Amino acid sequence: MKLGPILAGASALGLTVAAGAAAAQDKTLTISVYAFSQDEFKEIVYDPFEEICGCEIVVETGNSVERMSKIEANKEAPVIDMAVMSAHDALGAARAGLLQPIDVSKLSNYDKLYDIAKDPLGDHYGIGYTFYATSIVYRTDKVTIESWADLLSPELAGNVALPDVTTNQGPPALHMIGKAMGDTDPSLTAPIEKVAEHKDDIVTFYVRSSQLAQLMQQEEIWAAPVGRFAWGRFKDNGLPMAWATPKEGQTGGLNVMVMTANNGNEELALQFMDFWLSTPIQQALADALIDSPSNAEVVVSDEVAENLTYGADTVKSLDLIPAEVILDNRDSWLDQWNAKVAN
Amino acid sequence: MFGNRVEGLALTLPAAVFAAALFLLPVGILLSEAFRTPEGWSLGAYWDFFASPRNRTVFWRSLALAAEVAAASAVIGYAAAYAIVSLPTKARGRVFGLVILPLMISPVARTYAWLVILGRTGFVNQALVGMGILDTPLRILFSETAVFIGLLQLFLPLMIISLVSAMENMPKDAIPAARVLGANWAQVFLRVILPLTREGLVIGGTLVFTGSLTAYITPAILGGSKVLMLETLLYQRVAVANDFVSASVIAMILIVMSFSANLLLKRMASARRARA
Repeated sequence: MKLGPILAGASALGLTVAAGAAAAQDKTLTISVYAFSQDEFKEIVYDPFEEICGCEIVVETGNSVERMSKIEANKEAPVIDMAVMSAHDALGAARAGLLQPIDVSKLSNYDKLYDIAKDPLGDHYGIGYTFYATSIVYRTDKVTIESWADLLSPELAGNVALPDVTTNQGPPALHMIGKAMGDTDPSLTAPIEKVAEHKDDIVTFYVRSSQLAQLMQQEEIWAAPVGRFAWGRFKDNGLPMAWATPKEGQTGGLNVMVMTANNGNEELALQFMDFWLSTPIQQALADALIDSPSNAEVVVSDEVAENLTYGADTVKSLDLIPAEVILDNRDSWLDQWNAKVAN
Repeated sequence: MFGNRVEGLALTLPAAVFAAALFLLPVGILLSEAFRTPEGWSLGAYWDFFASPRNRTVFWRSLALAAEVAAASAVIGYAAAYAIVSLPTKARGRVFGLVILPLMISPVARTYAWLVILGRTGFVNQALVGMGILDTPLRILFSETAVFIGLLQLFLPLMIISLVSAMENMPKDAIPAARVLGANWAQVFLRVILPLTREGLVIGGTLVFTGSLTAYITPAILGGSKVLMLETLLYQRVAVANDFVSASVIAMILIVMSFSANLLLKRMASARRARA
């Protein structure tokens, strides 16, 4: 069989299709985001923005390690224009020279943000678009939680789970346990040692909040520190559950938007960031229970607020570990943890 | 089959280039990270890895657990495979289907099922307490026992499949002949069944050992960080510490262990053959 004519025909067809697509979508914005709730993000954020800008949004998803590796590998000729990630991962990327400062003067919605979201990394390398509280969920019929120290109390021995140090909830929870002990040293040595002393009382060090919901449902555990975004999995599980407000306060985490260095698509990326931070979009994301708003103008119903980290007072009460502290100490926390707690 | 050798080679070339360019080369580059230092090529990263007592504990735990799972699956697998090949053809197909069924379910779902079964309010504990064997429920989850049970259930079908196909190829009258000649069941197994099914044992053993060694989700969910394994350690090094050198060292160790297990099993099989 002669393949020549078929191949020539096929490539001619391919070229025609490619040329047509290029004419219709000569503006493309490539974004790198977390994989969850992408159907809702498409409906609330991407599709409406595509209509406004007449451009095409290409979405890349994955866990933060995969996405960061990809940005680093394409450093010289960036594929990704804007990305969202945790504040500490973003600071790591900024230090590696992968990001550029964001020109906030071009963001009409910038002034509407809560203060903690405005410049969490310094030099405008990132803008907070959502955050979450981390506190303790517990069984009200079994225990009362008033302090982070209660996690290691005799009443909870054998009935408590803690986040693994490798999760985003791990270090903040250890920080709060340290705070309850009167030690806020960023080395976390004191709380790690305290947890190590009690490690036989701890059912497991969890890595996924879905796993934790299962353990709570099976009555394996009565209490555990968890991010507010997972609260929905617990509150309607048929057991008497509560969200603790410990006297040391709540901790949590912040996610930011970043602009990759030298991407050549800065104008469109800024326009997209501004759109995402605008009140109607932040409102819609909050109402759909996807992301807690960092735009202070958003007003939600009590029912929605119950599922999110919402309101100026809540935001003010959050005791977050600064991104640079996480980045500078993460290896040491892991080593200490593996030496004292794991094994 | 082919008119000339060149034609045959030319036909295999695309697949070979594909495998080399998209699999062997990237894996080679990744693994070579563990030998590259700013001063040149070195085994320093391996030395550093084994210098840590914690890493040595994790290494031995992973090795021992994979070996235990392989051994247990061989014992259970022989009994199951013998029972299956003794069934009439129709029933054999059905039972074999049931053995394969779990392989079609995601390991994540299967592992989560163990969370329910092994929990304090789970089936196992309720049964033990209900029968009066235990006063209070046993803590099985998040221990080496839980990881062992999870891995065994995950990989046992592979051993059974290998042994069934080996036993089906065994001469039908080998066992009755041995019995007629006065061999007891232990002798039948050691002198007849084992030598005739050793290929199946080597394949099954390698699959189960390698699978147990490289499984991530089961040790992560049923063991957690209290039972650190090489795979969970590898994940930590990449995802948290961003330390690709240590991760490459662990990956290389896993590859070497897998190949060694296969060679060792083959050697054991051929030694037995030489003796027989």
